[in-house]
Amino acid sequence: MTKKIIMTATALLIVALAGIYAFRHQEIMAEKVIEPAPAATVDSSACIASKEFMKANHMRVLNEWRHSSVREGNRVWVAPDGRKIEKSLNTCLNCHSSNRMFCFNCHMYANVKPNCWNCHISPMEAP
Amino acid sequence: MNEDRRSFIKKAGIGILAGIGSAAGLFPALSLEKTVFPAWDEKPEPGKHRWGMLIDTRKCSGNCRECVAACHFTHNVPDFGNRKDEVKWIWKSAYEKVFPTASNQFQSPEVTERPYVALCNHCAEPPCTKACPTEATFRRWDGIVSMDYHRCIGCRFCMAACPYGSRSFNWRDPREGIKLASTEYPTRMQGVVEKCNFCSERLVKGLDPACVEACPEQALVFGDLNDPSSEIRKLLESSETMQRKPELGTKPSVFYII
Repeated sequence: MTKKIIMTATALLIVALAGIYAFRHQEIMAEKVIEPAPAATVDSSACIASKEFMKANHMRVLNEWRHSSVREGNRVWVAPDGRKIEKSLNTCLNCHSSNRMFCFNCHMYANVKPNCWNCHISPMEAP
Repeated sequence: MNEDRRSFIKKAGIGILAGIGSAAGLFPALSLEKTVFPAWDEKPEPGKHRWGMLIDTRKCSGNCRECVAACHFTHNVPDFGNRKDEVKWIWKSAYEKVFPTASNQFQSPEVTERPYVALCNHCAEPPCTKACPTEATFRRWDGIVSMDYHRCIGCRFCMAACPYGSRSFNWRDPREGIKLASTEYPTRMQGVVEKCNFCSERLVKGLDPACVEACPEQALVFGDLNDPSSEIRKLLESSETMQRKPELGTKPSVFYII
């Protein structure tokens, strides 16, 4: 009986410690976020287009975004519904990198090997 | 036998719970290069700004490497510890290497023995962009000579064309040479040329370049050469300045007070 109580108490303690650590870690990471520039009116909190559209056209979107932001300096994309979105790979990854299989599942299945992660930090190796 | 099995399952269960608890914190949603919100909404007007830098070499002290360290950390520039594989965006060099064609003779040894900061000059007439066969390097709307690493095929024509040695080639995978990685900026890959970008990723956020910010003596001044009321223009008017190899007609945007 006492053995059982000790076991349960230890288990609860470990879970509680892990929880506290996780919470603190989130807080520390949250403090590192850079404040946006004052004029920013960009919203990247929701997906930029429907899943079906992005499945078929994400590479075209990224290519177009890269060209206009790098070459012409136009870094804001206005979605059909009027939202303003930062033209950046991180607009997608800021939400989707919590899913470690984002990008990889489909690319593996389709045997597509884009070289994004040779330079950009991939969701797989996020710190 | 059964008792052993029971306790094993119990222990395994506790282990899994603890693992889930800590994993929740280890993979936060915001852990990548941060999305940089631009300070402007619209397409910039080409030629409105021309970014430039003025280096007051009298203030620059010999052993300080703060600007180099700040730049190379910010941009994930690898360091392999040998000259052959060297990649550099900003560096310190001797007078006769930075100004090999300067005609001033009989200067004080204090001037000629001092080290000088060198970086990409972001020329108004850049020879490198004209050599690039894929338009991977180009002069931007704001005068910055920029690289699109996606398009670089590693032919190194730009390195041969640059008279200032401002470009480096990634002979090796740069990730092997990065001791302390910054998550705010991507790395490059093996087989591409890289160079100083005048911190265009920081300018978007309204910040000064990393080297300017890091300099403890405020020897580096950054500003808009097209704005007559900017600090850099006032300093250029009030002081005697030099450019690197001006006779080549590249019109550098980096100026030196000797």
